[in-house]
Amino acid sequence: MGVSCVYMYPVPEGRSGAHVVEVLQKQVETIGGVKMGSFVVDCESYLSIMLSVSKTLQILHNTEYPASCFAVLDSGATLVADTLFNGLLSHLKAYYQARKGSKIESKGNRYQLADFVIKIGSVTLSGSFKGILVEVEYCPSVIASECWNLMKELLQSLIGNIAESPPPSLKMKMDEIYTPAMTMLQYLEHFNNFRKAAAVSQPPR
Amino acid sequence: METTSLAPSLKNIAPQQEYLLQASILDANRDVLLHRLRGLCDNAESNFETFADYEAVYVLSFLESSAVQQSQAVSFRVRHALDDPEAPDHIRYIGQAELGDRARPTLVRACLDVACSSNVREFLQEMGFKLDYDCVMKGYFFHKGRMKVTVYKIFRLLQPGKTDSSNWEPLSMSHLVELSVVAPLGQEQIGEDMKNFAEQLKPLVVLEKFDHRRLHN
Amino acid sequence: MQAPQSKEEKQLETSLDDLLQRVRELKQGISSFIYKLENDYQNISWPNMMEHFGVLSSGLSTTKRLLKAEKMPLLRNYVLFPILLSPDRDPHLEKLTEGRVLAFNHEVVPDYLRTKPEPEVEEKVQLLSVKASSITPEVAQKQLTALNKITSNILDIINASSDEWDKDSNQKNVVPSTSSPQDTLTLISAITKGSKLRRPDPTSMQQCPPMGPTQQQQMQQQQQLQPQKPMPVVGRVPSTIKTNIKAAATSHPYQRP
Repeated sequence: MGVSCVYMYPVPEGRSGAHVVEVLQKQVETIGGVKMGSFVVDCESYLSIMLSVSKTLQILHNTEYPASCFAVLDSGATLVADTLFNGLLSHLKAYYQARKGSKIESKGNRYQLADFVIKIGSVTLSGSFKGILVEVEYCPSVIASECWNLMKELLQSLIGNIAESPPPSLKMKMDEIYTPAMTMLQYLEHFNNFRKAAAVSQPPR
Repeated sequence: METTSLAPSLKNIAPQQEYLLQASILDANRDVLLHRLRGLCDNAESNFETFADYEAVYVLSFLESSAVQQSQAVSFRVRHALDDPEAPDHIRYIGQAELGDRARPTLVRACLDVACSSNVREFLQEMGFKLDYDCVMKGYFFHKGRMKVTVYKIFRLLQPGKTDSSNWEPLSMSHLVELSVVAPLGQEQIGEDMKNFAEQLKPLVVLEKFDHRRLHN
Repeated sequence: MQAPQSKEEKQLETSLDDLLQRVRELKQGISSFIYKLENDYQNISWPNMMEHFGVLSSGLSTTKRLLKAEKMPLLRNYVLFPILLSPDRDPHLEKLTEGRVLAFNHEVVPDYLRTKPEPEVEEKVQLLSVKASSITPEVAQKQLTALNKITSNILDIINASSDEWDKDSNQKNVVPSTSSPQDTLTLISAITKGSKLRRPDPTSMQQCPPMGPTQQQQMQQQQQLQPQKPMPVVGRVPSTIKTNIKAAATSHPYQRP
């Protein structure tokens, strides 16, 4: 476990997502990345009903932490719990209900390159492709400010200037001890952007 | 090879049931019971295992509380070990107690235990939960196979939120004694085992299937 | 060699045979029990053991009964007279006694053929009987009644205390003093329903939203609850009445900053 940075990699106009993913994967393999299995990060939204203030509860899972479940509220408060937390949610049906079509996931190959783990994921929202997320993790460190420059070098060779500065949600916490919850918050931020974009391009019926 | 999706077993939870027998013992007789339990349970040669937990019960309910909706209120019990700061916090959901028919030897209720990070109290309150009540439980636990026996005292906190022992006030002159097993649905044999075990503690304590409907708030 | 037997002699012979038979049976019983104790002690259970004892004691009592039976001639009227003592080994005797007595010599005869107690014992008995006969019947009667009195007194005391013990243990069975049903109820309702643990403030907040008329009720409620609540609440009551929001805030221990 170390520091992770997650970036959105844009798919150029007229190119297919699958193709861009392939190019990225080749690139990783060229610089020496070895494929070590695959990964999934998924997220589902739950909306509060009948409470005076409407609230959203996001439930995330990550194959990197297979026994954990991450619950995030609007404020960014994150609860890390056993996957059994899903069972608790089923008892809250009268108060929090899963929003239909909110299931979003980033899924793809996982590569190991020396001390780095690189994940290239295709993002799908209720089954349709929405974009690409690239995660780079530097395992030996838990303080982002101490390894950012190293990570930046690798990131820029992969995805270019998108990785000019640390991800926004990490910027405030560069000197804190990094936790897996911070990775999940980065994913959530991207997922929310994808959802918003989807809502704009496809107005509700 | 890693699987691409989360293992289904982790997402689909087999419903767990808690089989429970309860009783109490006067403080003066506690040690007799403890020694008997030590003799009956596993790890007889080691010292008593103790625990001290802070439990806060959070309830989520509709603001405009009609009787029907009130019955839908959901309670989560959040526990935190006072004697082991490293231990994760813990949410426990307990369903309605089923007495079943007379022949069933124990009380049975749905039960779900989830370990979680220590910000759980703030998190639940942000979700809309309200603190219903809290207390400190301090005592001893034993296990025999998958049976668990706890002998503990319940303290209320004189001032809210302060968990140091100067702020505790015992609720009674007795220790609560509970014999429980958490297991998947439909393993009725456990109840028999528990009954037999309880038999060995008589007449010191008479563990019984306690009808929770007899309780009043 | 065999002289014609008289009727009496015949009877003696048959009854002796009977007696021998009994004794042999008894001996067999004892030896098999000893064998079991020595070689098979792992498998011997308590009831098993009692059974063996039962067999032996019934054997003993039948032998005794046989001796008292009418047909049995008075054995004490017969005299056994040792004619010859010999220090040499006697194989016949050895066989008869299964190796226990090797020779009919001066050492064993006084023990085996003894019909009276040892002289020292006899002396003591003599002394006691002289003492007994020296007491006048009146004195003896007095002593007898005194002894009877003491014995019956002791018996009474024992009976009385055994009655008491019985009563004690009965009482224990009826009301186990090791736990209190009231406490059981209190503790279980505390952990399952929160009774006696719930603080008055948040619940009253929840049940009656801050509106004019309800405030009064709330105040009453607070006051009613006061006696069972210890000190801290007393100080907090006024603030609850002024601003409920503030009261709620102070009552939540886990406030977000």
